[in-house]
Amino acid sequence: MHVLEEVAKGEAFSPAKQAYRILVIDDDNCVGAAIKATLMRHGGEIEIAPRACVGIEALGSASFDVVLVDLFMPGMSGLDAISHIRRQSGVPIIAMSGFRLRDSANSIDYLGMAMQRGASTCIRKPFAPKQLIEAIDRTLLQGREQQEYCGE
Amino acid sequence: MNKMISDLAEAEEFKIGYPSVERARAINEVGAAIAHALNGPLTALLFYVGDLAQNGDQLPAGSGNGPSLKQVAANALQEAERVCFLMQRITDAFEAPLKKETAVAHGREVIRWLSRVSEEGERGFEASPVVQERLTPREREVLRLVIEGCSNKEGAMRLQISYRTFESHRAHLMRKIGAKNAVELMRLALLAPEGSLHEVPPVNDETASAIRA
Repeated sequence: MHVLEEVAKGEAFSPAKQAYRILVIDDDNCVGAAIKATLMRHGGEIEIAPRACVGIEALGSASFDVVLVDLFMPGMSGLDAISHIRRQSGVPIIAMSGFRLRDSANSIDYLGMAMQRGASTCIRKPFAPKQLIEAIDRTLLQGREQQEYCGE
Repeated sequence: MNKMISDLAEAEEFKIGYPSVERARAINEVGAAIAHALNGPLTALLFYVGDLAQNGDQLPAGSGNGPSLKQVAANALQEAERVCFLMQRITDAFEAPLKKETAVAHGREVIRWLSRVSEEGERGFEASPVVQERLTPREREVLRLVIEGCSNKEGAMRLQISYRTFESHRAHLMRKIGAKNAVELMRLALLAPEGSLHEVPPVNDETASAIRA
């Protein structure tokens, strides 16, 4: 909860960090709409895809800093969408899920499954703006480190 | 969301009298679906209220002796956070431990069957043992509609039966498979090994035409 309290204090996000181009793939339109409304104020550009195939098409015609994918969608599932996207581009992917991400008692590990298919990280819904920004920053940093490592 | 509300209204009717096992299962399924569906709107709420609280300085002071609108926005955020925290606990509670390994095995089989049926049609091959032996033809139809995301009302309309009948088929087949509800069945499907799922074709026309385009 401490993360959320910081949002209330106004330390949530620094405007300069939010000029991302984000693709949100989620059958629940309200998530993308809220991210769009909040981050657009700070120069971010957010595109929303209600189906995995629509998102994959969007990726073909424009470039994004990061892609957010919901794991549970009608039609193509989020996990399959991640595999699909990975096959055609190296764009960082963040998975979202309303379920527990890890549950050792039931040997459920969405985080592991999503990462195995090429996602950088996973966030659990509901999440606050700050959590999203942190996940994106972490993901982009990882990407840069990887690039530098490969470049040497 | 309208679909959820109509489902909820259906569930409300069950409060009268003692629910049968089938009805209790149906209610549980609706509950799990609603709990899961709430995560999206709650995320949106956190963003909107967070945005308000963040820009609280720009809000007018408000009239009268009450708290400033900035304070109201901060309070709203605090309450939204509490609701989200409770919501996660509710979602966790609906994800009770799976009873047996068999439920997982059944789930995998059923999903494989579903993917083949959508590709080749039901007559092209013999159904898997679980589906063949446990589910009646009607239950198989219902299962396909449930996985396509049909509500009880939509499904009932497509099969031209009453929604109570549809719901009863639905509860029966879920019990036979060993899943509490469609959400759990999908979770079982996600546990299936890689390769068995990625060929599942789109389940609605919109998706299909988007892929063809």
